[in-house]
Amino acid sequence: MKKVFLLLSFAALTGTVFAQKKTTTSATVAFDASTSIDNLPKAENKTVIAAINTTTGSIAFEATVKNFAFTNPTIQEHFNGANWLNSDKFPSFTYKGTITNLSAVDFTKEGTYKAATEGTITVKGVEQKVATPATIVVKGSSVVATADFSIKLADFGITGAPIDGGKIAKEPKISVNAVLN
Amino acid sequence: MKRILLSLLVLAVIIGGVYWYVATEKFSDTTERKAAYTVNALDFIKEFLANDSAANAKYREKIVTINGTISALESPDTATVNVKFIDPPTGSYIIFAFQDTHLSEGKGLKVGDVVSIKGSCSGGVYSDILEVTKIDFKRAALNK
Repeated sequence: MKKVFLLLSFAALTGTVFAQKKTTTSATVAFDASTSIDNLPKAENKTVIAAINTTTGSIAFEATVKNFAFTNPTIQEHFNGANWLNSDKFPSFTYKGTITNLSAVDFTKEGTYKAATEGTITVKGVEQKVATPATIVVKGSSVVATADFSIKLADFGITGAPIDGGKIAKEPKISVNAVLN
Repeated sequence: MKRILLSLLVLAVIIGGVYWYVATEKFSDTTERKAAYTVNALDFIKEFLANDSAANAKYREKIVTINGTISALESPDTATVNVKFIDPPTGSYIIFAFQDTHLSEGKGLKVGDVVSIKGSCSGGVYSDILEVTKIDFKRAALNK
C-alpha cells in the first residue's frame, strides 16, 4: 500500500513538473519592414517553436529564417541572401528571455496579465538585448502570449542601399503570437 | 537632340517596366510547380537526422512532395492549418503551413489521413527548445 502511494505521489509530482513547461510548434512571428515607398518587405512565419516555463518565467522562441514567406520572390531572395539575413549560414532567429514581473502573472488563474520581458534576440549570429511588454492570457491549461517590438537592422550588421533609400524600414516591427499548451 | 530624348524615354519605359514586373511578381501556385523530389515522410526525416548539412544542401528552397500519414494538425490562427509528420522514436518532425488558396485543403485533413503534400522546403534545423530536428515547409498544397 505504501509502495502504491509513493508511486502515485511520484507520478503526480512528475506530471506537475512537466506541466510547468508549455510549448508550441505553431507560434507566429510577423516581420514588417515595409515603408511608404515599398509595401512588399513583410512576411510571417507560422511554424515557430516557442516555450514558456510557468514556474521560472523563462521564455524561448526559435524561427527558421527561410520559412518567413514573402509574396514577392525577389524580396524573398534578398531577405535570405548573404548580404541580408544570410540564412544558409544562420538558419534561425532565436530569443531567450524571462518575465521580469513574474509575480504579476498567475498561471493558475484564468485572466489577462501585463508582463514585462527581458531577453536576448540572436539574428545572423549577433546577440542584442530586448526589453518589451507582453500580454499573457491564461485560459484553461493554455497560455496565449503576444508581444510587439522593433529591432534595429544596423544593430545586426544589416545595412544597404534599400534601407538608405527608404524601401526597407530601418527598424522593422516584429509581432509575436503563441498559444502554448 | 530629339534622338537623345527619345532614347531616354525608351530607356525610362524599359526600366519602369522591369521595376513594375519585379514589384508585382508573385510566386506561382505550388500545384503548378514540378517537385524536384518525392519522398516518404519518415525517410525524409531520417535523411536530415543522418546528415543535416547534406539534406539541407539537397532540399532547401526546392519543391518537394512528401508522402505519409498525418501525425498532428495545428492552427496558429483561422487563416492557417499546420500539418505535421512526426518520427515517433525521435520526435523530429516535418511541418507544412497551409494558407491562402490552399487553406480549405488543410481544413479538410485529419490526423491519420494518408496524404501527399507538396511545398517549398525551408530546410531542417535542430531545436534546442524541443531537442528535436524540424523541417519547415511553406506554400503547401495537396499533391493531386
